[in-house]
Amino acid sequence: MTHSLHRRGNRESLENDFIVLGCPATGVNKVGSAPKTRMFLSICHKHGPVNLGDMKTGNIHTTTMDNILEKCTDGTIVQVTYDNKDKIVSLLKDFKENRPGISIIISGVTDVVQECMHEAGLGTIHSLEYSLGTWGNTERLPQFEILELTTMCGHAMIAENLIDKLLRDIKRGRRTIDEAAKELAKCCSCGNINLTRANELFGKLLPKYMVRHLY
Amino acid sequence: MKVDQDKCIACKRCIPYCPMGTIQSFHRHETIPGRVFIQIDQDACTDCGMCYRADICPVSALYQPEEAWPREVRGILSNPLIEFAGSQVPGRGTEEMKTTDVKGTFLPGEAGVGVELGRPGIGAYFRDVEKVAMALAPLGYNFAEENPVTHFMENKQTGKLRPDVLGEKATSAIIEGKCKLEELPAVIKALQKAAQEVETVFTVEVISKVTPDGQVPTKEVLEDLGVWYSINSKNNMGLGEPSFNFYPEAQ
Repeated sequence: MTHSLHRRGNRESLENDFIVLGCPATGVNKVGSAPKTRMFLSICHKHGPVNLGDMKTGNIHTTTMDNILEKCTDGTIVQVTYDNKDKIVSLLKDFKENRPGISIIISGVTDVVQECMHEAGLGTIHSLEYSLGTWGNTERLPQFEILELTTMCGHAMIAENLIDKLLRDIKRGRRTIDEAAKELAKCCSCGNINLTRANELFGKLLPKYMVRHLY
Repeated sequence: MKVDQDKCIACKRCIPYCPMGTIQSFHRHETIPGRVFIQIDQDACTDCGMCYRADICPVSALYQPEEAWPREVRGILSNPLIEFAGSQVPGRGTEEMKTTDVKGTFLPGEAGVGVELGRPGIGAYFRDVEKVAMALAPLGYNFAEENPVTHFMENKQTGKLRPDVLGEKATSAIIEGKCKLEELPAVIKALQKAAQEVETVFTVEVISKVTPDGQVPTKEVLEDLGVWYSINSKNNMGLGEPSFNFYPEAQ
């Protein structure tokens, strides 16, 4: 499961995009992990995430934090998304003092994540997974600007046509950019959509988008 | 996913939510005069449930029937809310590097390699999944036991899948496993060749244990091969407990 790995974008867009995952290990510390996962979520919540969720229960844009905490069971994998480095440094400092005990993973620009770890006094990254990009019949993919938005959901639940529809809605005054970003968060129940980044990407796409039919 | 033709009013609100694109067609109802309804192309649909979960249908016409084997593999791999019993992980893969700090999944000298077919947004038939799996199998690549695709193999030595799943399609299907670091170049080259032969797209990822002095062993291999890798990565912080001892000889 690599759903936070293959986000597309340039450095400027990705360097303020972090997904923090909490994951108990089957066969090691999964039994009795629910309180640890709740502790992980509570710590994460203090540091100002833009999204937070559990794929089965939903995220803070579709349900409440209390409901997410309540529905945590042994084995629940949770994701928390942040939009700036300072929040990650303060979060890691907190984890250094208060370790929930489950595995913690951060997806982000490699050198920025490493810098955050050093600033928090956590040393080097333990294990690392690189994305080598998309191979094969890539002519079938949509344009890069659309992929920047759709690849924020690693389960590929954001449709290319939905981006098109949301852009059309914004142009027609039916939705604000903020509401369009929240619609993406609704489709990606895990909580991986970075709403700050989605706002920026929609803003960047709008001038390029031509409404074919006004009504 | 199916549409109840007696309820559907063809308002088209569900269409943009389909991750597989425009796979719907319009039909006239045979007994209700003037009524048009939508039909979903059942071959193209992966039963991911996105249109249903979007809660967009004003007349509740969308429904997901319980599917029998082999069609049920579509929902298992495509609907992120369905947990595969073999991996006990919701979603379509395994814990892979997420818990390597406590399980020792990827040891020094090993490279994890994951290939996710169909992502992003294209979908993959299992005949393509088999092509990639069979390209990797002879190269000392060990398929992850708890991964759903591994469970669909009739021969784990060759990577051959059960024939009854080959015509099924998933939003994405991940082949996960590992090899020795020295075998990584051959694995990458086999994937480059397989990329020419599949109808779909696939994303590739490589995992390694970072050395205590901060070196990423796979980085040098990728740079020697001239293979592009992204500036963003997934990083295990090593904070899980109890921590796995990766260097027992050092004690």
